[in-house]
Amino acid sequence: MSAVAAKPSAGGAMNPTAMVVGLVMLIILLAIAWKMAPGLGLMALIGIIIGGVLIGFGVHFVPVGGAPAAMGQAPGIATGVAMLAAGAGVAGLFGGAWAAEQGLVVAVVTGGIGGGLMMAITCMLVNFVYVFGMGIPAASGKVLKDPITGDSQPEYKSQGTEGHGLPFVSFVGGVIGGILGGAGGTLIYIELLDLYKVTLPTVLNASAANVLPVAVSAAGMFAIALFLVNAVLTAYNITGTIEGPHDPKFKRWPRAIVASAVASALCGLVAILIVVPI
Amino acid sequence: MSVKIEVIVGGVPHNKIMIAGFVCTLVCLYLSYLNVATNSTLFSFFGGLAAVAALIWGSHTIKVLCSYGIGTGVPSAGMIAFGSGIIAMLFATKFNVYAPIVAVILGAVIGLILGYLSNAVLNMKIPAMVQALTEMAVVGALTLMGFAVLITGSFTFAGLTTGSVKILGFISVPSYQVSFIGGGLTAVAFLLGAIAIQHPFNACLGPGWKQDRMLILTAECGFLSMIVAAVMSFAMVNVVAAVISLIVALVCWGYTYHQYILLSKRDAAAWLDSKPIPEMEGP
Repeated sequence: MSAVAAKPSAGGAMNPTAMVVGLVMLIILLAIAWKMAPGLGLMALIGIIIGGVLIGFGVHFVPVGGAPAAMGQAPGIATGVAMLAAGAGVAGLFGGAWAAEQGLVVAVVTGGIGGGLMMAITCMLVNFVYVFGMGIPAASGKVLKDPITGDSQPEYKSQGTEGHGLPFVSFVGGVIGGILGGAGGTLIYIELLDLYKVTLPTVLNASAANVLPVAVSAAGMFAIALFLVNAVLTAYNITGTIEGPHDPKFKRWPRAIVASAVASALCGLVAILIVVPI
Repeated sequence: MSVKIEVIVGGVPHNKIMIAGFVCTLVCLYLSYLNVATNSTLFSFFGGLAAVAALIWGSHTIKVLCSYGIGTGVPSAGMIAFGSGIIAMLFATKFNVYAPIVAVILGAVIGLILGYLSNAVLNMKIPAMVQALTEMAVVGALTLMGFAVLITGSFTFAGLTTGSVKILGFISVPSYQVSFIGGGLTAVAFLLGAIAIQHPFNACLGPGWKQDRMLILTAECGFLSMIVAAVMSFAMVNVVAAVISLIVALVCWGYTYHQYILLSKRDAAAWLDSKPIPEMEGP
């Protein structure tokens, strides 16, 4: 992207035909999984799709400011969607992976807490830098009153900017986004790990204990890859910056749900077919 | 409507770079198959050359895509390339000698569907989107396969999941932990490639963009990643093969770095009148 500010080219409108085509693709991919890898494989794919949708939906909550935020001209954290989402997701994934032995629910909740904690720390320190380093108050440019605290915003907004800093609602949005993203990433990891633990010994003709490193690494790598694909697709949906759940762009989430579901189904299917004999 | 921000002035057309990159990568990957023919790992360095060729093609694809204001930053394109590429690459390794071809086909299918999703479902409406994402997934898969060959000397699933550990210095025991996938080297290769593909256009964009300077920078970043991968390959392949890879990487990196500095000096004092943003209607 050049220094000339990128104009968001995508509109807010939905494309009903494409949405239907996307849903049909989703059903076809599920059918292929049902045909090729019934039982455990299909269950894993459904878990992966749910995880992918959680990631895609969660990223919409994260206040992303991009380059304008770094200059104090837009609210949010001063980096791109892909980087923030990857940070929150990988932090959550590492948290959840430590709890993988204690079952699905504990691991997914731990992953969510890991992601949420990472976003909470990031949001707080970003506000420290904005307030004490750059000397700007937190003000939203999209709403007149903070939807949670009810504080009035326009008085604090500098002229010529879209707002700056992280208002309270953006902070809460960031934490919710981190929780959803971390939980989604961990869910994908656990589903793939369970599948690989069962199937890899036959594929590699080795004992379960021996193939554990391969199962863990492959599942972790695929979880990160799926996370990045979903995060970037959602970034394309948002086209640049978003303030959090109160931003008008937030209403675009149905498109991201369909896109994330199809993308996760596609990538998840390939990841599952690795351990299916062809 | 989409706004095309930068105008391509001169330079080699994108299709030529794409075909050259594609052919070079596949030829280099198959040259590494000499490893199997000669029952050694001496030809592993061809994997690194394949990765660099794919990276050069990929960075020009990023230039084509990111010339339209996609609004998410250049690194996101590199991330989606490798996110979709690694899935295609790991699946393709199941097909032994056909692995590179399967990686290309599967990468293209995944990229095509992701491109359709972003253009139609997410309503991006960027003319180059579908083709660019298709190419990016193929580039991601081939680059990772190149690094896998460089590090382990093989691109088969068995070769990437199985290594060997010497016990008491001479008894060789198969181990799944000392391997490309089992040892987690995949993650390092992933980011080595992703940084090399997303950096050059991010660093060279702007009114003073020159194609040759960006492509040389890509080669430089690629060989820099290859140095790291060659160091990692000491754990997996023959010492002689690893030293050959390291020397090839160091020499090529030194040459491309020198060239890049020369080109930067050539362009440093130049000033280009950046015209107002041309507004073009998308299809």
